[in-house]
Amino acid sequence: MKILTCPLNGPRNISEFTYGGEHHSMPDPNTTDSRAWAEHVFFHDNAAGIVTEWWCHSASSFWFLAERNTITDEVIRTFEASEIYNQRIDFVAASTVEGS
Amino acid sequence: MNPRLPAPYGSLINRDAPLDFSFERKSYQGFAGDSIASALAANRHWLLSRSFKYHRPRGALTMAGQDANTMVQLPSNPNALADRELISHKLDVMGQNYSGSLRTDRGALLGLFSRFLPVGFYYKAFFKPRGIWEKWAPLIRKKAGLGVIDQQLQPDYYDKQYKFFDVVVVGAGPAGMQAALESAVEGCEVLLVDENPILGGSLNYTRFDAEGVRGRQLREQLTKKIAANSNITCMTDAVCNAWFADNWLPIIRHKRLYKVRAKQTILCTGALEQQAVFHNNDLPGVMMSSAAQRLIHLYAVRPGQAAVIVTGNNDGYANALDLLDAGVEVKVIVDLREAPSQSAMIDAVVARGIRIETGYAVYEAQKARNHLSAVQIRKITSPGICADSGEVISCDLLCMAVGYTPTYQLVCQAGGQLSYDDDSAIFTLSNCPAVMQIAGSVNSHWDLDACLAEASRAAIIATNALGLSHTEEPAQIARESVSPNHPWPIFAHSGGKEFVDYDEDLTIADIINATRDGYEHIQLVKRYSTCGMGPSQGRHSALAAARLVAAATNRTVAKTGVTTARPPFAPEHLGHSAGRSFYPARRSNMHYRHLEAGAQMLQAGAWYRPAFYGSANNSQQCINQEVSNVRNNVGLVDVSTLGGIEVRGADAAEFLNRFYTFGFVKQPVGKARYALLTNEGGVVIDDGVACRFSDDHYYVTATTGGVDRVYQSMLKWNAQWRLDIDIANVTSAYCGVNIAGPRARQVLAKLCTDVDLSAESFPYMGVRQGTVSGIAARLIRVGFVGELGYEIHVPQHCGEALWDALMEAGQEQGIRPFGIEAQRVLRLEKGHIIIGQDTDAMSNPMEVQMGWAVSRKKPFFVGGRTISELEKKRQLRSLVGFVINDPRAPIPKESHLVLEGEQMTGRVTSCNYSPTLQKPIGLAYVNLENTQPGSRIIIKSTGGVRITAEVVPLPFYDPDALRQEL
Amino acid sequence: MSSITPTQVTRRSQLYRRHSELGAEFEENNGLILVKAYGSETELAQAKELGLADLSTLPRTGFKGAGAPDWVTAQGVTLPRQPNTCAVQSDAGLVAKLSYQELLVLSDLNATSSMIEKLNQCSVGEQTYALPRADSHCWLAVTGSQAAEMFSKICAVDLRAHKFANAEVAQTSVAKANSIVIRHDLGSTQCFYILTDVSATEFLWDCLLDAMAEYQGKPVGIEALRALV
Repeated sequence: MKILTCPLNGPRNISEFTYGGEHHSMPDPNTTDSRAWAEHVFFHDNAAGIVTEWWCHSASSFWFLAERNTITDEVIRTFEASEIYNQRIDFVAASTVEGS
Repeated sequence: MNPRLPAPYGSLINRDAPLDFSFERKSYQGFAGDSIASALAANRHWLLSRSFKYHRPRGALTMAGQDANTMVQLPSNPNALADRELISHKLDVMGQNYSGSLRTDRGALLGLFSRFLPVGFYYKAFFKPRGIWEKWAPLIRKKAGLGVIDQQLQPDYYDKQYKFFDVVVVGAGPAGMQAALESAVEGCEVLLVDENPILGGSLNYTRFDAEGVRGRQLREQLTKKIAANSNITCMTDAVCNAWFADNWLPIIRHKRLYKVRAKQTILCTGALEQQAVFHNNDLPGVMMSSAAQRLIHLYAVRPGQAAVIVTGNNDGYANALDLLDAGVEVKVIVDLREAPSQSAMIDAVVARGIRIETGYAVYEAQKARNHLSAVQIRKITSPGICADSGEVISCDLLCMAVGYTPTYQLVCQAGGQLSYDDDSAIFTLSNCPAVMQIAGSVNSHWDLDACLAEASRAAIIATNALGLSHTEEPAQIARESVSPNHPWPIFAHSGGKEFVDYDEDLTIADIINATRDGYEHIQLVKRYSTCGMGPSQGRHSALAAARLVAAATNRTVAKTGVTTARPPFAPEHLGHSAGRSFYPARRSNMHYRHLEAGAQMLQAGAWYRPAFYGSANNSQQCINQEVSNVRNNVGLVDVSTLGGIEVRGADAAEFLNRFYTFGFVKQPVGKARYALLTNEGGVVIDDGVACRFSDDHYYVTATTGGVDRVYQSMLKWNAQWRLDIDIANVTSAYCGVNIAGPRARQVLAKLCTDVDLSAESFPYMGVRQGTVSGIAARLIRVGFVGELGYEIHVPQHCGEALWDALMEAGQEQGIRPFGIEAQRVLRLEKGHIIIGQDTDAMSNPMEVQMGWAVSRKKPFFVGGRTISELEKKRQLRSLVGFVINDPRAPIPKESHLVLEGEQMTGRVTSCNYSPTLQKPIGLAYVNLENTQPGSRIIIKSTGGVRITAEVVPLPFYDPDALRQEL
Repeated sequence: MSSITPTQVTRRSQLYRRHSELGAEFEENNGLILVKAYGSETELAQAKELGLADLSTLPRTGFKGAGAPDWVTAQGVTLPRQPNTCAVQSDAGLVAKLSYQELLVLSDLNATSSMIEKLNQCSVGEQTYALPRADSHCWLAVTGSQAAEMFSKICAVDLRAHKFANAEVAQTSVAKANSIVIRHDLGSTQCFYILTDVSATEFLWDCLLDAMAEYQGKPVGIEALRALV
């Protein structure tokens, strides 16, 4: 059983966590072409090497990110999502913005 | 019982506690502490089992629980290891795998046909002609497997426990004991684990000096120090059965599985003695030299009367001294080496006048009455080849001392690499992770002082790494240049039967033929021949097989390698995996009210829910009555399991707008709105209603099974969006009921006076906060079952009180509880889908007729872009309603196929008899040609009967929605 | 026998039927009904060895949100410094910090703490959101010198005294149910509060009793717990 270190709760058995998939930025859904969108949704990089992944500590529902080497299964570091997402994200419609 | 050797022989037995037990229905006596095998050996009974394939007689091989020869049947379980399992009062032990009796097994005739059972037999024999396997299968199945399972047995209580240590030392031989002592620096919690009943490992039975005193002395010294050290916890009789990531060690002791987390692991797992490979090397009476020494020292049992020793190292000479001291005649030491190195041990043997033949091999063993009766020794002419004739020497014991393999299993599971030097026949282990050290004979150290020094060094490295010591790391300990491993103790015989793998009855020819059949890789040889796949998992076959494959394919053993040693190291009882485990069952606050009302409960996910109320023999009638009562009077259903999520804050509406498919920004306060959730792939994954209690407060419901995922998903999205909201899963904090039926308002009005319940002021899809029977409640007018209805959500602790109040208030109106079976029928009549039942991993909103619940005017929502892509493509299927008009047609079940000719074009997702429509109704995916009302579809129903169903518009019931909006 | 029954009030523990079956004597304290004792004369000694108590009907509440720490501080709450630790309040209540933005407030064993009622009554500040902790979670207490050893059968976090200090908090899995475990010693006796999803209360209670059996652990009433302080 691997140990994963939650930035909030410290080192815990990995069975306390839920895997949330690879982390990658969403392309602009209103401007990106169909192919790029399909790749975003359906394709995974599945890279051999260091990848960034979403993990959630189930007991505290705390989401964070982990850098993991998929070749050695070594977790290099874990960090809070706010390190990447540090400001509010807004979406604007491609053509007209809904007046609400 | 024959007299045992005097003390101090017999360190494991208690001579004051004799025990009676039986083997093969015959009574025997042993002592407390005896294993089944040692107690039988003390009675000069050696035959323990019959081999798997040829039913050959087998006896003790290792006396260490490392081979499959000793597998016996106990009343509680098959395949108990007779050399590990202790005897107990009146224990009833039987042999296994024979027909007739263990002594005269008719199955042994199979051995005569061995040349018709070549390696790869199964693959070859049953491959052609087609269909032949079906003929053979029953016979093979009958022969396959070992032992008998008592299907009436009440399982014992097995459980698990976590443990935490700074250093775990596996193996309590000299190296392990020393490593534990050296690790036990201040602040270091050390666990010392050993599979044997006492500490000491080889110190208990190996002769380290010609006088035979050093082992015992050292053991006493180390044991005393360990007992006095409060930092060391000892676990004996405990097997560390694997190594998993980050030093996670499953240690099995009796009926408990310890899940041990170590910061550092020191493996002192020792080495396993290997057999010589020659004709009839499997006879009872042929055993490892260490097995004979265990019998003598641990159990005070003389392993035979007249012994021959075949050796490739000096340990065979130590063995001879032990045998002599125990009163066993040693007829000859057959040394495979032409010129043994000088040693005090050999000098001592010579001094006692024992015959020694160097450059000789045991060519064959001979049998009388299921036991070794003599050996034929021959001069070795070149490696593996003997002279044409030899000398026959009668004996009843043959001890084999030709080398060892390190007990490398756990090391390799941790990523360690096993290497072998073809010249010196020495194994080495490298590439261990930083959290693991190894010491002792597992690391090919044989000299006792070297083992101790290396153990100290490993411990220093471990405690330094933990920051608990700052000792200078000692230099690496040099290995001896002479290995105890003879490079080729393998002697082919014209009559075959030189066993490489005892478990699977594989001989030299079998391994070589596997390579000739084209399976040259060691992993392929294993799978083709089954070598190493038996209960002892190649512990005694891996090395011999590797040597044979190497020779047959002109490679070195180093290049050939050995097969992967996966967990578990030793066989484990299913109880350890299947024993006590936790499935957190969830109960609503009204749980006991359902039981009192006679509900049949079922588990929906983790939740207990009432299926229906009444007798299980009468389920359909109960369900129909519950349905009718909702349609005509009023019913009450517990919806506490429904998910509830609070979304609060300035951006609450904006968040829901992004998360769900519908538009929420303009949703008025006091209203609920259907909330359909799709994932990024546009697939429908959950639904509920979003109730807006104020501008910045939504209470969103989610499906029972989906809420945890929905909640996590909300948090994950907002970890990115960073909207000004708080999301809280309050599923369990609220209990809920749905009171539904034309008389629902009448009942509720009696208990709820602070909310105007009239249709005008509290219409369908309205939400209010008020009190019901004095309990603060959230009221939601929903129509899941298609009648006038109110969901009433109250704080969890008030559930029982709410239920009681409503049941009492509704008496006059004929209120009855209804279960989820009735609810399923009611919602189906209304054409409402259940996510997960009527949808699958591909269902998009358009396919399930939910296009209306998707806003196309929003800048963004999860799944939105994919849905717009899907809308550009041709839709492939659609969920439609159907009725079955033929009253004789068997009612289809979920997942029954919709066919066109032989072509599958869809499937049924829901189907029930509708008491309201008085015919079966259902939902099915069909292709787009069949979506029009009036279309006929063919369903392959129960029993394979093809029935015709008619596609009808949805909903089946109350299409104008007059009733729910009353 | 006392005439107090759990059903005379609306706030009932999910376990009241189990308590009655065990022969519990209930007490009423300001409208709160708790198990006073199960009738054994050695209950105090039991609590020192290994006891299990149901505190589910005692008051508790929670707050969450970016403004929550400041707002509760303004209400007079002493905040623990680090997440996953707790602090005893001047009125004997207990406040646990579950994250930088989430707090759990527990009453003392006598329910004399007035803080919870005060916090629940007044309107919350900006970006502060109340959590219905009294309904969402049950509240059990495991006490005694054997408690940590017993926990090692059902919880993968090392709760031994020298590894999990008093006032530490672990959000983890207990018998596969997500739980908040708080070490809050009563006098010199180790005590762990467990707060778990209320729907799993019976499951957890049964698991704990099963795990405790090996150490002769038994349910104890609140009287025994109070006597420890």
